[in-house]
Amino acid sequence: MNLATPFANAWHHRELIRAVVRRELAVRFRGTILGWVWAIFGPLVMLGAYTAIFSHAVGVPASAKGGGVGGYALSIFTGLIVFNLFSELAYRAPGLLHEHAGVIKKSIFPSETLAWTATIRAAVYAAISLGVLLVFELALTWRLPPASLALPVVVAPFFLFLLGICWFLMALGSFTRDVAHLMISIVPVFMFATPIFYSIDDVPPSLRIYLHLNPIGNYVEMIRDLLLFNRFPGIILYSGTALASLLIFFFAYRFFMQYKAVFVDVI
Amino acid sequence: MSSDLVISCDRVGKAFQLYVRRNDQLKQAIFGHWKQFYHQHWVLRDISFKVRRGETIGIVGRNGAGKTTLLQIICGITLPTLGRVQVNGRVAPILALGAGFDHELTGRENALIGGAILGMRRAAVEARLPEIAAFAGIGDFFFQPLKLYSSGMAARLAFAVCAHADADILIVDEALSVGDAAFNAQCDAFIKDFANHGTILVVSHDLETMEEICDRVIWIEDGVVQGMGTAKDVTARYREAIEGRPVAALAAGF
Repeated sequence: MNLATPFANAWHHRELIRAVVRRELAVRFRGTILGWVWAIFGPLVMLGAYTAIFSHAVGVPASAKGGGVGGYALSIFTGLIVFNLFSELAYRAPGLLHEHAGVIKKSIFPSETLAWTATIRAAVYAAISLGVLLVFELALTWRLPPASLALPVVVAPFFLFLLGICWFLMALGSFTRDVAHLMISIVPVFMFATPIFYSIDDVPPSLRIYLHLNPIGNYVEMIRDLLLFNRFPGIILYSGTALASLLIFFFAYRFFMQYKAVFVDVI
Repeated sequence: MSSDLVISCDRVGKAFQLYVRRNDQLKQAIFGHWKQFYHQHWVLRDISFKVRRGETIGIVGRNGAGKTTLLQIICGITLPTLGRVQVNGRVAPILALGAGFDHELTGRENALIGGAILGMRRAAVEARLPEIAAFAGIGDFFFQPLKLYSSGMAARLAFAVCAHADADILIVDEALSVGDAAFNAQCDAFIKDFANHGTILVVSHDLETMEEICDRVIWIEDGVVQGMGTAKDVTARYREAIEGRPVAALAAGF
C-alpha cells in the first residue's frame, strides 16, 4: 500500500461512486415543489440572518470593524460553510455503514466508497453556499479577489481531511452506536474552537498555537484569506495543515481497510 | 488450478462472536488481550467442494444451517474464519432482491445504480436498459418511482438487473419464488439458459426445481456438509431427514 492506493481504489470504483452521488443528489429534493431552490434558500436565509443580527441587534466586534457589517457577515458565512461541511459529515459518518447495511451484506459493495459519496455530496451543497457567498460579495464590493482563484489549492487537502474523518468515524461507528452520540456532544464544542464568529487574530498570541492544532480552523482562516482579504495564506500554515490532512487521509484509509472485512459481521 | 475450476472451497469455516450483553463487545475491544468476552459460534465447519465451469450447484439445508453465510463467503462479502475460497470469474449475487434500491428513484434510475453495484460501466447498463425493462415486464412503471411498485414488481426489476450483468457466476439465494407464476417461469427459463454457458450456485427450499435444474446438490446441516452428490440422490435423502427434526438450534453450551 502506498500513497496512491486510496486514489487508485476510488478510480477503480468511479462508476459506482458517480451513480451513488447522482442518487444522493437526486433524492435530496425529490418530492418538493421548489426542488433545488431549497439548496440556495438555506444559505441565503443564514446569510441574511447574520447580516440583520449584526447590523442591528448585536453590532460588529471591534476587530472586524474594517469590513463593516457586510464584511463581518461574509466572514461568519465563510466560517460556517467550512464548518458545516465538517459537521454534516461528522454527524453522518458514524451511521453510514448501518444505513447501507442491506447492500453491504447482500451484494458485493465496496463500503470504502461511501466516504467518497458522502463527502462529494456534502461538498456539492457547500459549493452552492459558496456561490451565494461570492454573489453577495460581488454585490457588496463590486469585485472578486483574484486570490480566490487559488481556492482549489486549499480545498483539495481539506477534501482529503474530510474523507479521512469519514473513514475513521465510519469504522468506529460500525462497532458501537455510541460514536454517533459522542459526535452530537462534541461537534458543537468544536464549533467554538473554530474561528467562525471571531478571527484567530482576536485570540491572545499565547493561545493561538492551540487553535492551530484544529485543522478546520486553519482551513477557515485560509479560505477567508483567499476569498475575502485577497491574500495568500502563510506557507507554514498551509503546508503544515495540508501535511496533517494527508496523514489523516492516508491512515484513516488504512484503518478502514484493515477492519473492512469485520464490518459485515458487526453491522 | 485448472482454468475449468471456477469455485474452490477448501476446509472453509466461519465463526461468529456471540455476545451475551451488548456491553461485552466494547469490553472485548478494550480488554480482549487478556480475557474473552464472547462465545464462539461456528456457523460453518470444514466445508470443501469444487465447482467446474458450467455446472449448476444447489445448496439445501434447514433455516440457520449456514447456507446464506456460505454464499456470502463465496461472493467475498464476508471472510472465512478458517480455510480458503478461490473464485475465478465475475460474480453476480442475487442474495436479496433490490438491495441498494431507493424508493424515491424511478425504476430506470435504480437499474443504473444496481448495475453500478454489480460492477458494470454506466454505458454498458444504459445500452441494456431496454432489455432490462422488457425482462422485468413492468411497462411504464419503469419510469415511475419505486415506492409505487408492488413488492413483486420491485423484485422483477431487481432480478432483471442481475440477469443482465454479464456475470460468469450467478449466485441465487431463494430469490426464485418472488413473482407470479409467469415471472417465475421466466426466471427459471433464464436460469436454464444461463446454465448453458455460466456457472450457477443456488439456494432454495423448492426441491422439485432443484432436482430439475441442478447437476449436483450440497446438503448442509448445522454448518457441515451432510451430503453431496447428484441432485436426485441428495434431495431424496434431505427430504427424508427433514421429516421430524426441528429447526437447527444454537450450539450447545450457550
